[in-house]
Amino acid sequence: MVASGLFLASVPVLLIGAALAAGLRGNRARGLAALGSQAIAIVLVSLSVVPILAGDGSLEVTWSWPSPIDSIAFRVDALGAFFLVWSLPMTFLGTLYSVGYLQPYFHHGRNGGPHFALLNLTSLSFVLIYAVQNALVFLLGWEIAAVAAWLMVIWDYRNQKIRFAGFNYLVSTHVGLFVLVAAFMLLHGSTGSMDFADFGRYLSAHPAGQGTLFLLLGISFALKSAFFPFHTWLPRAHSAAPAHVSALMSGVIHKAGLFAFLRFTLLGGKPEPWMGWAVLTFGALSAVFGVLYTAAQRDLKRMLGYSSTENVGIAAMGFGIGMLGWSWSDPALATLGFGGGLLHVLNHALFKCSLFYAAGAIYRATHTIDLERLGGLARRMPRTAIFFLLGGLAMCGLPPFNGFISEFLVYSGLLSGAAPSIEGDVVLVCAAAVLAFVGAVGALSTTRAFGLAFLGVPRDPSIRAGEDAPRSMAVPMVVHSVGIIVLGVFPTAALALVEPVLALFPVGGGAAHGPELADVLGPVVWACRGLACALAIAMFATWRRRRSARESVTWGCGYTAGTARMQYTGSSFSAQLSSLFRPALPVLTREELPTDPFPQHSSHLSTHHVDAVEKRMYEVIGQGEQFVQDASSRIPEQPRFAFAAGLLALVVLALVALREGL
Amino acid sequence: MTSAIANILALLVMPIVVTGTINRVKARWAGRVGPPIFQLAFDLWRLVRKTPVYSKVTTPVFRVGPAIVLVTSVASACIVPLAGTGSLVAFSFDFVWFAYVWSFGRVALMLGALDTGSSFEGMGASREATFATLLEPVLFLVAGALCLHGGVRSFEAALVPHLDGPSAVVMWLCAIGALMIVIQVEAARMPVDDPTTHLELTMVHEVMILDHGGPELAMLQAASAIKTFVAISVAATLLDPLAGESSILAIGAHLGICLAIAIGLGMIESLVARLKLRIVPQYIVVALVSAGIALLSTLGRGGFS
Repeated sequence: MVASGLFLASVPVLLIGAALAAGLRGNRARGLAALGSQAIAIVLVSLSVVPILAGDGSLEVTWSWPSPIDSIAFRVDALGAFFLVWSLPMTFLGTLYSVGYLQPYFHHGRNGGPHFALLNLTSLSFVLIYAVQNALVFLLGWEIAAVAAWLMVIWDYRNQKIRFAGFNYLVSTHVGLFVLVAAFMLLHGSTGSMDFADFGRYLSAHPAGQGTLFLLLGISFALKSAFFPFHTWLPRAHSAAPAHVSALMSGVIHKAGLFAFLRFTLLGGKPEPWMGWAVLTFGALSAVFGVLYTAAQRDLKRMLGYSSTENVGIAAMGFGIGMLGWSWSDPALATLGFGGGLLHVLNHALFKCSLFYAAGAIYRATHTIDLERLGGLARRMPRTAIFFLLGGLAMCGLPPFNGFISEFLVYSGLLSGAAPSIEGDVVLVCAAAVLAFVGAVGALSTTRAFGLAFLGVPRDPSIRAGEDAPRSMAVPMVVHSVGIIVLGVFPTAALALVEPVLALFPVGGGAAHGPELADVLGPVVWACRGLACALAIAMFATWRRRRSARESVTWGCGYTAGTARMQYTGSSFSAQLSSLFRPALPVLTREELPTDPFPQHSSHLSTHHVDAVEKRMYEVIGQGEQFVQDASSRIPEQPRFAFAAGLLALVVLALVALREGL
Repeated sequence: MTSAIANILALLVMPIVVTGTINRVKARWAGRVGPPIFQLAFDLWRLVRKTPVYSKVTTPVFRVGPAIVLVTSVASACIVPLAGTGSLVAFSFDFVWFAYVWSFGRVALMLGALDTGSSFEGMGASREATFATLLEPVLFLVAGALCLHGGVRSFEAALVPHLDGPSAVVMWLCAIGALMIVIQVEAARMPVDDPTTHLELTMVHEVMILDHGGPELAMLQAASAIKTFVAISVAATLLDPLAGESSILAIGAHLGICLAIAIGLGMIESLVARLKLRIVPQYIVVALVSAGIALLSTLGRGGFS
């Protein structure tokens, strides 16, 4: 009872903080009001939530409310507690970062109050989404998070591009909302209630109706978490928003989609195998396309945004394996899948926020995040360089950092050979190979982003780097970087958060549990510790031995007049990869090439990697008629292909008919 | 205990011998006597005593990079049976660790190359990264197929050949074919990369270490020799009929097969021209397809035998 009181007290605390932030005079006081109220809310929520993660059941309160809501049930179980316990502190760190990041705007007399209030409301939306058991209030929290994020994205609202990015996000998130409302209406129509517990009873009693609801809910949550091909809003929004808003959206706010997915998976009870396969495939697609796009971006924050599509994809692969394990009543596989997926959600939040914060520090110092113009920042912003490198190494899943641990769990699930048929095993191994591809492309992207921004010499001499990040911006990066290293070498701390959630999944009749994740990870964690020690010693030894080294210029292979513009650029770095995957990475080229031996006109060439999904979407919307016409007009030119396609279709139809016994 | 000592000794000696053997074979084909087998050891000793020269552009990333490359190559060597008796360390799905540790070394090397601000080195890094994206899935497909086939989970157990039935033979052949290409790419050997070319524009591995000198270059050369031996040792275990036994005979057989592969690599380097860089991804796709066939042939496990 005390715990639930404490938990609910966080709601008015956050609201009062928001009101103070909006109403007080002076940005310093406003920021302090937001930070203070969020700190109190964190203490309140942690006090009530930590016992749940320690295995102390769950926390339930019911409020009676006038019609038509009747009653609002709050129920925090281990799943909600897992998300709450890091979402609120990370939002706090984001708010702290914003104080430093927005300072230049404050100097020009900008009022930061509404922005701080919105950050408070974001925290409030987590308290609602992760705890509430009533569909209407859940939608309210969902909407608060979406609208608050939109308003925070358009902080620089005078810029038309940024308003467009914000509007794009607003429309996409509301399309997702409509689908979610449709799913809730279906459930409400069948149960006559808005309570999740009633939804759960209905779903487990009527497995036949699960398919439609699974698809509706899946699409809505995929839009929220920016899965491929629902990600089109994401690169624009992340590139337009202030760094801390991008960080919070990518790392924290949009994890609500994954949370809601798990919540409804739990409510629905044992899934069918096809659902697991669907989630696995969908996750793998997201991971592959997300990571391919990261390799081709020249805008650093766009690249980080695409990387969230990749990482939610990896988490979804974990969830897919978990659902398969559940449907095959294999507790070991379910533990590995759900455990790996959940851990990856937390790990992604840690490194992605850190990377966005570092990108923000670059923007603040240089006023650009265009990789083709940056370079040599490691000398002028050494702190930021270290944070970005740590985050980047974790992002491509390299040991001994935290991203590796969760990916290792997902790999363990994929490679364990636990499918009931050998065909299933083969498909799972193929998925592991896909994940390996994702890891390798991720390594390319990280190398490219860090190498271009921080190493070499500045590509554009007109860019002058200002000072390195101030303390309020450095502290959040330090905290996140410590998390990246600690969870890579001592993942037990994170496993303690994940394991109570896994106990909620009634796999194998409820009694049987999979292996302890700590046991699965035991040897590899020791290997990571060994590697970390060896790396630390080797780096220290090389660091020490600087002494009498001479300095000279870079070897120019015989060419002595090299300039900074001659360095390898971002587009040249990824040129070979993008030419291998051209259909997924379309390039818009504008060129005016020199013609004669003595060209009379000035020539130029510009290439631009565009989003394939967005391109096709606009093509179909804008020129759909033309598109179909072109396709059909090509048929008479290729009569043999048309004939072959028709024949193939006939054979397939005949086979289907035979199979159905017609 | 014997196994551990054999592994450590192999790790210390064999990289030098393997590199020396390849170079000796190449020299013989060219009609020269060739350097001594242990030439690499003398070279390393000479380099370690030199004072390095750093480019003014570089940052600590450049200085720390070679150490990371060396540490990761040794860390990956711990997973692989180096002397035919079993590996130093083995745990479930250790090949995931193996692949990612290798990847870490690659990232450190590429960052060091980008740190110099030279477009040639950027070019090499870009090629290395692109080839790796195609190569990593090969390793997972092969290891996954071997694990499924043998019903085991660690790399050392998976590599022990089980030739029970025709589908197993198909898998074994395809896995070896794929691994041979992995060796050529990872060790930067012909026909993928020419370690002795003089033209920076066509280099992959060598161009990334153009600016390293002295002890840094020694670390990189040692790491690259270790990587070559580790990759050869993976293939050798798969070819070794005595793999997994811990007798002097098994150790001798394994090391003999390693040297035979090294001689084979030397012959290929002497007789084959390098591929055009544009063709290299297609060559790696051959490995990918071969690994895919290896995986698919596990489907025939029950059917044929």
